[in-house]
Amino acid sequence: MVAATVKKEPARKALPWLSGTIFLIVGFVLWPTLELFLMSFRTIDISGLIEGWAGLENYRMLAANFDLPPVLRRTIIWLVVVVGMTLAISLPLAQLMNAKFRGQKFLRYSIIIPWAASLVITATSFKWILDPYYGMMNLILKDLGIIKEDVDLLGNPSTSFIMLLIVAIFVSLPFTSYVLLAGLQSIPGEVLEAAKVDGAGGWKTYWTIIFPLLRPAFLVAAVINAVYVFNSFPIIWVMTTGGPGYETDTTTTFAYKIAFRDQDIGQSASLAVGNFLVIFIFIMLFLKLSKWREADQT
Amino acid sequence: MKKFRTRIAAVAAMSFAATFAVAALPSQAEDVTLKLVMAAYTDDMVDYYDGLAQDFENANPGIKVEVDVVAWPEIGQKVKTLIASGQTPDIVNNDEFAGEAAAGLLYRADQIVSAAVLKDIIPAFLDNSKYKGTAYAVPDLASARAFFWNKQLISGAGVKAAPKTWDDMLAAAKAVKKKYPSVYPYCLPLGPEEAQMIFTTWGGGNGGRLFNEKTNKYTLNNKEFKGALDFLKTLVDQKLTQPNPGKTNRTDGCWALFAKGKVAMVDGGVFLPDWLSKNGGENIDWAAGAFPAAKGKTDITVGVQDYFKGYKAGGKQKEIQKFLTFIFEPTNYQGFLKAAGGFIPATKSAGKLAEEDPIIGPYIKLLPKAIFYPGTVGSWQACKASIVTYMGNAMSNTGKALQQIQAKCDAAHKKVK
Repeated sequence: MVAATVKKEPARKALPWLSGTIFLIVGFVLWPTLELFLMSFRTIDISGLIEGWAGLENYRMLAANFDLPPVLRRTIIWLVVVVGMTLAISLPLAQLMNAKFRGQKFLRYSIIIPWAASLVITATSFKWILDPYYGMMNLILKDLGIIKEDVDLLGNPSTSFIMLLIVAIFVSLPFTSYVLLAGLQSIPGEVLEAAKVDGAGGWKTYWTIIFPLLRPAFLVAAVINAVYVFNSFPIIWVMTTGGPGYETDTTTTFAYKIAFRDQDIGQSASLAVGNFLVIFIFIMLFLKLSKWREADQT
Repeated sequence: MKKFRTRIAAVAAMSFAATFAVAALPSQAEDVTLKLVMAAYTDDMVDYYDGLAQDFENANPGIKVEVDVVAWPEIGQKVKTLIASGQTPDIVNNDEFAGEAAAGLLYRADQIVSAAVLKDIIPAFLDNSKYKGTAYAVPDLASARAFFWNKQLISGAGVKAAPKTWDDMLAAAKAVKKKYPSVYPYCLPLGPEEAQMIFTTWGGGNGGRLFNEKTNKYTLNNKEFKGALDFLKTLVDQKLTQPNPGKTNRTDGCWALFAKGKVAMVDGGVFLPDWLSKNGGENIDWAAGAFPAAKGKTDITVGVQDYFKGYKAGGKQKEIQKFLTFIFEPTNYQGFLKAAGGFIPATKSAGKLAEEDPIIGPYIKLLPKAIFYPGTVGSWQACKASIVTYMGNAMSNTGKALQQIQAKCDAAHKKVK
């Protein structure tokens, strides 16, 4: 291969060119992570001062926190429902974006716009749409005769989490459908033509040819989405701050509340370590997938 | 709001520029710079501190003052972050001190103001600034709460007298609901802004107190508080409140509805009239009085006081003392109270003047009836946060909420001791 003909330089010569990246990785990734781990084993007092080592006390406190089990259950639902529904809706959506028709461009733009807006803006818009006194939603529901009195969909524990799920799916759609669209566009036309010649129908072509070829893009979209959704702080925080009570918290917002409301930074750090490990697994999965993909392509 | 943001951005930009300037010119005459983080009672605080800092710098060459005026929901966290990252400010004005006093971060009260100022502080307020018998903060002002009602709606519904007991209040609420179906008879703010106030007020009206000094324990999960929450739940269940108590905040929720005439009864405070006049409620014909209490219990008001604190980290005790003594000079302190908007002064001299004030005066007379938060207890801030969080969902199960609150507050208290 080409690499064999290039004279091998000692690694240290590359250092000046890599120093920027190394600095960024050490300063902004490794060091904070290390600090987080250390913090989870420390006693930190109510004003944020480090008092000494705590051993496993923070983890013990977290395990004894009776609000943790429902939050964990909800985090799993959050992850599975948002990622699952996003993929389920994105598959046909990508197909539609790939189809040639008048207004295709318009469709593509209108799907990308929610992605271009910051999550805080989107979440704030929805918060106002759902506002019990001034929001559009109550007006529409009342005009349609579905409800008689104003309701607060975000203030009621039984509906607020569902609303958050819907918004989270809405903001995840653009990215996912575009990844899938890119996957669709990489499927060679000849394969589809051959299928047509052999007499395969629409559904059959989709499930036996398009979907298997789409698999790498599908898996990448799933994993990246899982990371985003798991970490998603702004939607929940802006719309409900995890409330009422802890009824709409996931582990991310719960960690924040433990640190800044309950003022227990150590316990919060131990939960954040847990969050970090989950993300770490996702990242490993993603790297593995990219490797498969490379292997597929060569 | 916008004003604060630009200001914060400006301060950030300036300190950024200053870092470079210092790096470029290492040897300059050494001014001492006091770093202040002050609560934004109103938007007027920014202008007030601008003027005050200017006057102070003119009177005290060699001392520079950098003021960061921060909105209430952010100030606690901001101070915590500054301390944890080694950038402890020199003076802070907010609503907590005991945790910091326990951590040994603060100068004593007698180190941060002159003896004359300290003598002028109202003794009850100074007592609330003590940690283990020593004052570590100087009260800046106080407030007391009262029950407000819309006279037009209440008498329009045929209610003759102001509700004195819970039964009166329930009857009044039903009457209002019947006469004006689109009005919420009572607005219950259990949102994160100040749910602990509702807890303290209505529990207090049933004889409940948050903390027992003698046993050194929180006293939250008991029949007094249970009774109060159950009473509030009755109002909610009978649709006599707004539909979403767990999410409604005091100011942008209940008061905003009260200002629009959509609410007949609301928990207010000495500063509510000022707020109404600035937020579109100037035409509301209101009256205020004691909170309705449970049958056979005495009515109470809740007093809240905030603090000035000086931090040891920068070692600027002399300068801190100069500045805080300056702020208590009569004209400066009147300016402070005016900018803050309708609070009860913390000094005897200013208190005398305020007794003549038609709005503030009655509250000063109410103060003997006031119960205060246990602000001298180191774990109170953490306990308060738990009360706020669980009150958000308390109306679905009052007993469970009280159990959870008690458990979290006990855990926090054990940790601080």
